[in-house]
Amino acid sequence: RVSSDGKPPKFQPPPKPVIIDRKTRKEERRFLSPEFIPPRGRTDPLKYYIERKDMIQRRKVFNIPEFYVGSVLAVTTADPFASDKSKRFVGICIQRGGKGLGATFVLRNVIEDQGVEICYELYSPRIQAIEVLKLEKRLDENLTYLRDALPEYSTFDVNMKPVPRMDQEEIPVNKLQVRMKPKPWSKRWERPKYNIKGIKFELPEHKMKAAQKWSQPWLEFDMLREYDTSKIEEKIRKELSEELEK
Amino acid sequence: MMPIWTKSGEKHAVTLLKVQDCHVLRYVSKEESGGKTAKLLVGGKNVSPFSKPESAHEIFKEAGVPQKQKVTTFNVTDDAIIKPGTPLYAAHFRPGQFVDVTAKTIGKGFQGVMKRWGFKGQPASHGQTKTHRRPGAISTNKAAKVYCGKKMPGKMGNIYRTSFGLKVWRINTKHDIIYVNGSVPGHTNCLVKVRDSKLPTYKNCNKNPPFPTFFADGDEELPEDLFDEEIFQFTDPSVTFS
Repeated sequence: RVSSDGKPPKFQPPPKPVIIDRKTRKEERRFLSPEFIPPRGRTDPLKYYIERKDMIQRRKVFNIPEFYVGSVLAVTTADPFASDKSKRFVGICIQRGGKGLGATFVLRNVIEDQGVEICYELYSPRIQAIEVLKLEKRLDENLTYLRDALPEYSTFDVNMKPVPRMDQEEIPVNKLQVRMKPKPWSKRWERPKYNIKGIKFELPEHKMKAAQKWSQPWLEFDMLREYDTSKIEEKIRKELSEELEK
Repeated sequence: MMPIWTKSGEKHAVTLLKVQDCHVLRYVSKEESGGKTAKLLVGGKNVSPFSKPESAHEIFKEAGVPQKQKVTTFNVTDDAIIKPGTPLYAAHFRPGQFVDVTAKTIGKGFQGVMKRWGFKGQPASHGQTKTHRRPGAISTNKAAKVYCGKKMPGKMGNIYRTSFGLKVWRINTKHDIIYVNGSVPGHTNCLVKVRDSKLPTYKNCNKNPPFPTFFADGDEELPEDLFDEEIFQFTDPSVTFS
């Protein structure tokens, strides 16, 4: 190249590449509440479609926030017998059950040394508000073993303030390993069928080995038990996003 | 089955029944049938005609209607006669009405006396020799016979049974679905016969029903969903007590 002066042209660095991470951003924060996914069965899909319409209708009027098993929630319900006509309960979500309109979640707390579990229906009209005080996941999907754990792991302050959270962050996984009360427990949690990772088993080695006798290693290879929900979830997500934007 | 909530916050379980291609097939007059009232033959769900014999094709050819899986009779007064070939819709029923639902119960096959009739059986231990689920004695000494109709093991289920007095909570006119209170005999997706209730308490419950039936001519524009007055609709805010 020939420059005007005869000197070599001044080096101009190329423009810095601007990386717009669109793909990863979009895939991240798409949460589908588990009660929308229809169970495997021979029911007519029309029934699930109609149920979903009702659920979307309820969600438009009343906000059901995103939460997981292990997050701390505060629920206010209408009660005809209370003085203020409403009751507020704070607790950790132990399990989420049911599909469709009958979806439920169980909150657990220890109040005045008494463990209390209340099962609420997500779509019940009696629920006036659901606030997520602490949004986090745990190592298991079912925390029913908290009944046999030391009470300190199930106590939550009733007047707890909501923990602030950034919108785009990933949901933190609390890798807490819970210490249990001495045996007997309500269920034999050390057995492989429960597949619990969130307990710090202080049992002797031979007992842990003996519990492995009930393991069923062929279950993970059983093809008839496979239920691939990815395509169903995609369709339902599309439907939800379309309907909620209206 | 689905939950449904009332305005006072109570939950009821509800069964969804879909009205799938129902047509009136034939009118049988009182004298012809030999009964007390005239009858209307109504057919349900469409099915391919190739699996049925030619003799079964007649009724459907006359009415000009595809082959139906099930044909039932309804006893009908003379002023409620409908022309054969008219389609029947879910809007024939209205919320707040009471209804009887008949269907074939789930077949359980050959069952023993404990499951079929609810007998108590015998204890599991304390010396019982090979007798834990048997009926025990079947008659007395004086009778010297076994009475006709004695409860014994046999084929259970797969017979027609009716649930009476079920309330209709909601009707979806777009998809022809009736929401009926409580449970209904039969397995999922089985064929079911829905009739106005014959119980004396619900004789005069139905005020201004679509008579003789709901004709989708376009005269009456019904909303997509018809609700009972007491139902909590999801468009309303949450229930509060005062």
